[in-house]
Amino acid sequence: MPPRLSSSLCQQQQLLACLEAPLSSSLLGSRRPTIAAAAASLQQCFSHPTTTTTQKSSFSTSQPLERTRPQIRFHNWLKKSGKNHLRHDGDRPKYLYGERPDQPFPLNEHFISEPVLSDDARQRIWDAVMVDGLPLKAVSAQFSVDVRRIAAVLRLLKIQKRQEATGSPFIARPYAKTIMKMLPRAHLVRGEQPFEPINEIHVHSFTTQQIFEPVSETRQFTRADAAKAFGEHILPPDVKLRIPELIDLQKAIQKGVDPAQAEQDFIDKVADHERRFARRQQSLQRKEADNKIHFQAKRCEFRFEKINVDTVGKDGRARGGVGWRYGVPHNDRRRGLIKIPTSVE
Amino acid sequence: MRQRRLLRYHGLKRGRVRQTWNKYNLFNIAGLQVRESLFGKTFFQQKWKAKAMTRAYHGEHIPERQWERMFSKKFQTVINMNPQYMAANDGSEEAAGRGSGRKQLGEEKTSALHMLTPHMQMTYAPQERRLDIAVFRALFASSARQARQFVIHGAVTVNGKKMRHPGYLLNPGDLFQVDPVRVMLATGLKKEKAPPNKALKATPEEEESEEPVDEEESSPAEPAAAPAEPLDPHAAHQAMIQELNRLRLHAKTIVDAQQIGAKHKKALRQFMSNVKEAMAKARKIDPARISPKAGSSDTKLVDDLTDALAAFELGLPDKKETKPAPAAEEKAEAPAAEEKAEAPVGPVTAAVLAHKSNIRLNRDEEKILQRLLEQERENPYDPSKPYLTPWKPRPYMAPFAFIPRYLEVNQNICAAVYLRHPVARPGRSEVPSPFPHVIGQLAFNWYLRRR
Repeated sequence: MPPRLSSSLCQQQQLLACLEAPLSSSLLGSRRPTIAAAAASLQQCFSHPTTTTTQKSSFSTSQPLERTRPQIRFHNWLKKSGKNHLRHDGDRPKYLYGERPDQPFPLNEHFISEPVLSDDARQRIWDAVMVDGLPLKAVSAQFSVDVRRIAAVLRLLKIQKRQEATGSPFIARPYAKTIMKMLPRAHLVRGEQPFEPINEIHVHSFTTQQIFEPVSETRQFTRADAAKAFGEHILPPDVKLRIPELIDLQKAIQKGVDPAQAEQDFIDKVADHERRFARRQQSLQRKEADNKIHFQAKRCEFRFEKINVDTVGKDGRARGGVGWRYGVPHNDRRRGLIKIPTSVE
Repeated sequence: MRQRRLLRYHGLKRGRVRQTWNKYNLFNIAGLQVRESLFGKTFFQQKWKAKAMTRAYHGEHIPERQWERMFSKKFQTVINMNPQYMAANDGSEEAAGRGSGRKQLGEEKTSALHMLTPHMQMTYAPQERRLDIAVFRALFASSARQARQFVIHGAVTVNGKKMRHPGYLLNPGDLFQVDPVRVMLATGLKKEKAPPNKALKATPEEEESEEPVDEEESSPAEPAAAPAEPLDPHAAHQAMIQELNRLRLHAKTIVDAQQIGAKHKKALRQFMSNVKEAMAKARKIDPARISPKAGSSDTKLVDDLTDALAAFELGLPDKKETKPAPAAEEKAEAPAAEEKAEAPVGPVTAAVLAHKSNIRLNRDEEKILQRLLEQERENPYDPSKPYLTPWKPRPYMAPFAFIPRYLEVNQNICAAVYLRHPVARPGRSEVPSPFPHVIGQLAFNWYLRRR
């Protein structure tokens, strides 16, 4: 809040201003008139309307309000329901009153404060991946945590453990402990609600339209057919799932395969998938490394990359083209263009 | 000079809601009126009002023109699938009958698909990609403007590289990290301002004290020459001087023998200079006029200094109390741990050290004491920090504590990963907003009009 003059002070200043003219000649010695002396000229003072919000009518002699009405409401609120939020005790979240206890904004029922992974849950994920060596997708399915979140947890814990190993203390540890008490937490133990949906698919804008597609009554019109009807490049949800192997797992169980055996097959399958993915990444990296020549000079490293001049295309204006080309403007030094990087490697 | 738009930032009269953890803001959220503010207005006025209300909260520090460029009428929506159902059915059952699935008479579809998806609450979703707003959403700053300041001041890194653009749009998978001291400053209580002269005075004194001590060290024979008077009343006095000298030499052996950090060396030298001062005082006193009271005060001084040295030794490596292993090895293992033992000690440690010799605890008390000491080590008193130590959370913080699902946050290292863009799903929107769906609709329509 910006500092503001209290209304009573304004009142006194008005009084002073009113009294200034008659008193200035006679009472030079005592420049500050008392309230009693001022009361005589109150009438005259109020006859000129002023801008104060707490203005009383001209016949009133009561003291003006110290605070404005919103300020009074605010301070009453602070004393009553606001008092509950001053300090946080216990280890449960406490939000403003709303429809639900996990709703931070009373008017927005569509946004709720969902649980975050607790420290032990993060450690559990770490153990499953780094100690037991399970593939990410299997861990994701086991804990019902998104694969991307699993990867993020591992990345963050790696940084944390590296710092732990150096022995330097976590300055923010008291903050972390306190904030965890204020947040709803998930521990990823048995009997808990699933942490988050892991089989979500993005709603493609092509699939939001209504299409009249005449098909024969006897035809089995499956999800794959429906996807094709929306567009040639639209994939059916069976492929779009982040862990499509889960459908095979369920199919096997429904066929009567022993659930433990089906689960083992699922784990083998996703592990194989992960291995193939890693191999592909490695070969890509190797290819990139082969394309570059490193030369370590005294103070800096030179990197030479092989460039194909044909990337500029037939008209020499392709976006990926390299080098300065006649007639193609270089915009990277123009004024007023946004130069914020779009990605950080 | 403050900007004009910041003068009534948390004004009560208009009650605009902001992205801050301020108590005035909490009051404004609690008293937010929507129906009244839209009543009796034309459609245009309603849209204008909704836009004004929402923009006061969502990226109020972003210029309107810039936001208009960011706005997109496309939403990210997701639907959760059920693999069990997909395994049992190939989808043809949905196309059965007249093309929309067979249905029993009177049956109603009650799946999640038929819930309202609050797309209109996603109007400001593009802003959640901004680095400054993500830092605020990860609870690393107490307001979006503060988060912006952290970014501009170079306290935030993205994927390990310093990023000074608050308008940087995070990509899925980006890891951002904030300087923990800034986070503690933003979320902790304010430090009371210390008188400025003291801090300036303290440093040169300490540095001055080093040199005379060094000279003293070089002449260890000098204090040995002092015990020359063999008189009986002088015996206690001499013993005290000897004791002081012993302390000084002990401190010196610590400095010489062990590989300790510069901070500790400095503290030890300060200690030695204190001892030297005490010795000089003791020598000045005429031993013949020593009253029993004065003598007791002198012995108290010796005790104090002994305690201080013990405190220092205790504080050197953390494990020294529990494990009487060779000290040199421990230091080789954890050289950084030594830095942790600071010269200023907290109240619990000080109390323990003050009563170290004459304290007897049972097992439970020992445990409690250990826990308190652990707490103090985690959250130490450290006047060098810009926030109040030991750290305590700022008031009115809990009602604002929530982390949206598109972020994965690790508070210990003050880092977070931007997993994906915020999405809407049936019944839920991931964009944190204090306004109801109606206001979202109107604001969306305002921006739609111009596109």
